[in-house]
Amino acid sequence: MAGRIRWFPKRAIWSSNPIDPLTKVHLTACRTGSAFLFCLLVLMLCVVPKARADEPLFGFTYTTDLLPKGKFEVEQWSTTRFTKATGNFWLQENRTEFEYGVNDRFQLSLYTDYSSNYAFHNGPFGVTTPGEPFSYDTPGPNAHYRNTQYISTDLEAIYRLRSPYTHFLGVAVYSEARAGRDFFETENRLILQKNFRDDRLVLAMNFTYAPELRNERPGPLVLNETDMNLDYGATYRFRRNWWAGVEFLNEREFGSWTFWRNEINDAYFFGPAIHYGGRHFFATATFVEQLPWATYHSTTLPGAIVGGRDYDNDFEKYRVRIKVGWTFGGTR
Amino acid sequence: MRAKFLLLPLGATVIFAGPAFATVYLTIEQAQSLLFPGATFQPVPITLTDEQVKAIERASGVHVLNKQLKAWRASTGGWFIADEVVGKHEFIPFALALDDQGAVKGVEILEYREAYGDQIRDPNWRRQFVGRQPGARLRLEKDIRNISGATLSCKHVTDGISRVLATYEIVLKQSGH
Repeated sequence: MAGRIRWFPKRAIWSSNPIDPLTKVHLTACRTGSAFLFCLLVLMLCVVPKARADEPLFGFTYTTDLLPKGKFEVEQWSTTRFTKATGNFWLQENRTEFEYGVNDRFQLSLYTDYSSNYAFHNGPFGVTTPGEPFSYDTPGPNAHYRNTQYISTDLEAIYRLRSPYTHFLGVAVYSEARAGRDFFETENRLILQKNFRDDRLVLAMNFTYAPELRNERPGPLVLNETDMNLDYGATYRFRRNWWAGVEFLNEREFGSWTFWRNEINDAYFFGPAIHYGGRHFFATATFVEQLPWATYHSTTLPGAIVGGRDYDNDFEKYRVRIKVGWTFGGTR
Repeated sequence: MRAKFLLLPLGATVIFAGPAFATVYLTIEQAQSLLFPGATFQPVPITLTDEQVKAIERASGVHVLNKQLKAWRASTGGWFIADEVVGKHEFIPFALALDDQGAVKGVEILEYREAYGDQIRDPNWRRQFVGRQPGARLRLEKDIRNISGATLSCKHVTDGISRVLATYEIVLKQSGH
């Protein structure tokens, strides 16, 4: 999920945040899009039916709930990552996912990721720096970088060891393999879930270990970094079909296979999460802001931390993730 | 360009979200006829006090969702109780018949609004509750068999029946009806 900035100019200059006409067009489009987005959200709140599914309660944090045997689900994710310390930055990550319940404890998913990026004078010292999925690109320091690309194909498996409904603590293990242009990543999670108050209050914690291999063409895949994340979520079903909560994310990057040696970056995010679950449909949204708690390490890129926030190419100030999904099969 | 990508899933949300529905299996009247054939019913309105709520929660280990009991006295003897438990996102209404001694005579699921877990309607699964005594604190996978793929519904219906059995012991038995 990460990749370090590989290029910055010998002579670094902090950007004065210029906005060119193209950028203005882009920003106008974003504002128009935001208004439309808001209208759609309102519409969704008004007209979405009472339905249901087995679905994620959080945008980023996983729970141990899985699809029952033989059921399947289609999910669409949209993650928007925006705002750096300077310049303009907008990264739109999309995922289309198909999930299948192999049995009541084991779920398989196949999905594809595709992203768009706009970057201008956004990196350390005001250098245009693409977002992490586009880190194979090296635009000029003053380029208006725009790109839309297929990123990867992913296979994910989740096995539940303990159900939170019948045991003191829900426990599941997760493993994912991502293969894309010039990179291969495996993401491994331990998922813990504890429920309270008739399962209407859900606390979840994920520990993620994700080594990532990348190559410079031509060349072999070599370890680029290892991500170690700790994600926490708490949510409460405040009325039928509706859950509201918060998520806290701690992301760390290491320049080794371990998660205790050669730390490069660390960032902390916090924000609200809301979830609607219907009979065969769900929608989940989380907004998080990076907290000013980042710290410098010996290998942190100079200029990456501004105002206590890490702005290396896998970090930004805000993230919004929206997931929608439809389940198939179920009640006769 | 990027805004369009952002809107894709939300647009799909509006397009694909179908009409809502709940599967109603039995009305209250139908459940009464099924559980007490030929009987007539006298509603017994009871509002639980705070002390009774605490006592029920202590005895059953389950939260009381509604202080207003929906209880009927059957002319042939026994009680008909309509209650509901938390489902994954909706509530699951169910009916419980208790005999004169407060033991479970039968269980019916009135409605089911969830995509999965409706196997709790299986008569063999519901039959496990028959004969359970007042005050019994039932536990899924110990006293009551779980149904794989319907765990949450099984757990909550089991809990709900424990709550009703505690309610009988603490409230209905003493009510003088």
